[in-house]
Amino acid sequence: MREGATPGEADQEFARRRRTALWVAREIVPHEARVRRWLARSRLSPEDVDEVMQEAYCRIAMLPSVDHIDRPLAYMFSITRNLLLRRLKRQQVVVLEAVSEIETWQDETPSPEEQAASRISYERVLAIIGRLPERCRRVVELRKIEGWSQKEIAVHLGMTEKAVEKQVWTGVRAIRDAWSQAEAQSENRMLGADLREARSW
Amino acid sequence: MVTRIDDQARDDAARFVARMDADDWTGADEAELQAWLAADPLRQGLLLQVQAQWLALTPEAEAAAPVAPPVTAVEEEAEPASTGWGRRGVLAGMAASAALAFVGLRWSQTPAAYATRLGEIRRLPLPDGSVMTMNSGSELTVTMAARTREVQLAQGEAWFEVAKDAKRPFVVAAGNVRVRAVGTAFSVRRRETGVEILVTEGIVETWADGDQNLRMKLEAGDRAMLSAHAVIDYETGISSSVDRALAWRGGMIDLNGRTLYDAADEFNRYNQRQIIIADPRIAREEFDGLFRVNDPEGFAEAVKASLGVSLDTSNPNLIRIE
Repeated sequence: MREGATPGEADQEFARRRRTALWVAREIVPHEARVRRWLARSRLSPEDVDEVMQEAYCRIAMLPSVDHIDRPLAYMFSITRNLLLRRLKRQQVVVLEAVSEIETWQDETPSPEEQAASRISYERVLAIIGRLPERCRRVVELRKIEGWSQKEIAVHLGMTEKAVEKQVWTGVRAIRDAWSQAEAQSENRMLGADLREARSW
Repeated sequence: MVTRIDDQARDDAARFVARMDADDWTGADEAELQAWLAADPLRQGLLLQVQAQWLALTPEAEAAAPVAPPVTAVEEEAEPASTGWGRRGVLAGMAASAALAFVGLRWSQTPAAYATRLGEIRRLPLPDGSVMTMNSGSELTVTMAARTREVQLAQGEAWFEVAKDAKRPFVVAAGNVRVRAVGTAFSVRRRETGVEILVTEGIVETWADGDQNLRMKLEAGDRAMLSAHAVIDYETGISSSVDRALAWRGGMIDLNGRTLYDAADEFNRYNQRQIIIADPRIAREEFDGLFRVNDPEGFAEAVKASLGVSLDTSNPNLIRIE
């Protein structure tokens, strides 16, 4: 009989979620702009692109384990492709061009710009940390750059752990916004590059 | 379609990520998070995305820091040490482009993953014309290849109506138990004690990978329970009880002389609000009736009326039968 989540179950869920998030952080997040750009080419609105991405992350979040996935980015593309096809079918107005774009994504090779994109957003994120309010910036720097635990930070700065957690919350929001801005910019830049390429051909 | 992920949800996700970033995740935190996640399926994805963005910032620091979760020791895999952000990105990009070309050639074999949330029962048509119905809290992957149709059941239960195709056997794997059908209907459920198979139509063959002695044929109306090394239970000619056990396909729980303990367990498979039987003496009482899976309250009221027990419903997450 289950009585809500036992401490053991909570730990297991916590560990599983964290393993998946670390994997996504390493394998997917740096390339998210590529996936989004590919989605944008099938004429989805930015809101729809957001939702397809969210749904794709849902699929990954619900996997018991990600250990069996040998090719993470290809896996991500395959999930988003299925979700996208389903969505286009539901919209009924099937843009043929859009479908053919979906079939051709594997022809893409990452350009130097794309490879640089994750680097750029990382620097952007560091800049964002630099612009955080003083107290929050201290906490986020110690946590993310020095790798201290929230508990250690609390002792060091003479704050309660709850207060540290609250500053981390602010930091998480700022970093989340930084990523999504960087992605949007990279998306635009890439789309611009596409158009230029098309003309020169 | 209305975008359901609003600023409030984004802030909540960030708050949970900050909470998880501390070192003292508790059962209460987990329960709160589960309740939040249950309100909208997209939240799972949102949470993962925000957590990953937070972790992506300094993977090196994360790998070096002690990452053992708080209460009991759960194995956390060591993250491979990385030499630097930019370089890793480039290497990953190169590996990925090779992967993309590879996968492009064999789309049809890419496994598709499906999962149902607590209380969700989902009917899904498969590309080969088969239909699968997934019960609450189940996870599986489907791989359709030229010569085989394969389902890996990681958790939970599903009922399969298999389209006839003699050239492509349909195999369900649950742990090392295998169930094979050509054109038939059957369900497979992973339970704590083993894998339960119910056949509603035709014939299936079942065995354990690596143990030929366990190979057996099951017909419509049969039920078998297999573990990795033994047939734990086998009943034949029990069509009506097989149908009752599969009442969940219509969103119902059919209790036919099941004990109160079993019945509560059954409801707890589908609902956030868990039933607890506080008095072990009544747990073995047998009970009859047909209930909706999402109505644990209705069930508890019926128990109260027929067994004269009292209910404590003060906690929205629990129903205590005392």
